[in-house]
Amino acid sequence: MFTPLVTSLIIDGPITDSRAHALAIPDHGTVGAAFTFRGIVRRAEPSPAHPATLRDLLALDYETYDPMASRELLALATETAAAHHLTAIHVLHSRGRIAVGETSFVLHVLAPHRAEALAATASFIDALKARVPIWKRPVWAT
Amino acid sequence: MKLEVLIFGAAALAARSGRLSVDVPHPATAADVLAALEAQHPSLAFALKPPATPRLAVNHAYVPPTQPVTPADELALITLLGGG
Repeated sequence: MFTPLVTSLIIDGPITDSRAHALAIPDHGTVGAAFTFRGIVRRAEPSPAHPATLRDLLALDYETYDPMASRELLALATETAAAHHLTAIHVLHSRGRIAVGETSFVLHVLAPHRAEALAATASFIDALKARVPIWKRPVWAT
Repeated sequence: MKLEVLIFGAAALAARSGRLSVDVPHPATAADVLAALEAQHPSLAFALKPPATPRLAVNHAYVPPTQPVTPADELALITLLGGG
């Protein structure tokens, strides 16, 4: 057994392709599945006044409660790695204004098999939305 | 005693502030603070009642409802999260 590689970071602004692609894959020879999830800002969200109607967005403003958000993000990543026997997990989340089409969240999971990687991804995102103190505020187009 | 509570997101928008005061008994617990927020700031009801799942953070860590709190602590209402 080896200790999983765990990293997490909250950055100002969108997550660029180069930053997302720079996430490390450890050379243990045990990685059989690498799964990357990207959260991207959609063009439309339900209108607060009329939830059945979609309203156009310009961007989302992400607010974090620091340093608690960073601590919870790292703790969640560490717990997820242990619970799903991951080889590595890397998390990036944005703070500030993220425009439509830009990436606000990247989760990179490496595991011996795909089942662990997919299960870890789903459980991490569910827990993120319940536990890590990050909020988003819509910036409406009109 | 009077305590200050940090608030964020939609709750802060509704309250038009990122910080609110509450009057609580002395000594007070985390549960007392959540109850005082609901009683003394009706604009936050949507963030304090189901389906919202409000929790209080004390000094940047979640605490159980029975946790004692004092004016020296940094208190934050954590509810209606939107990460991801």
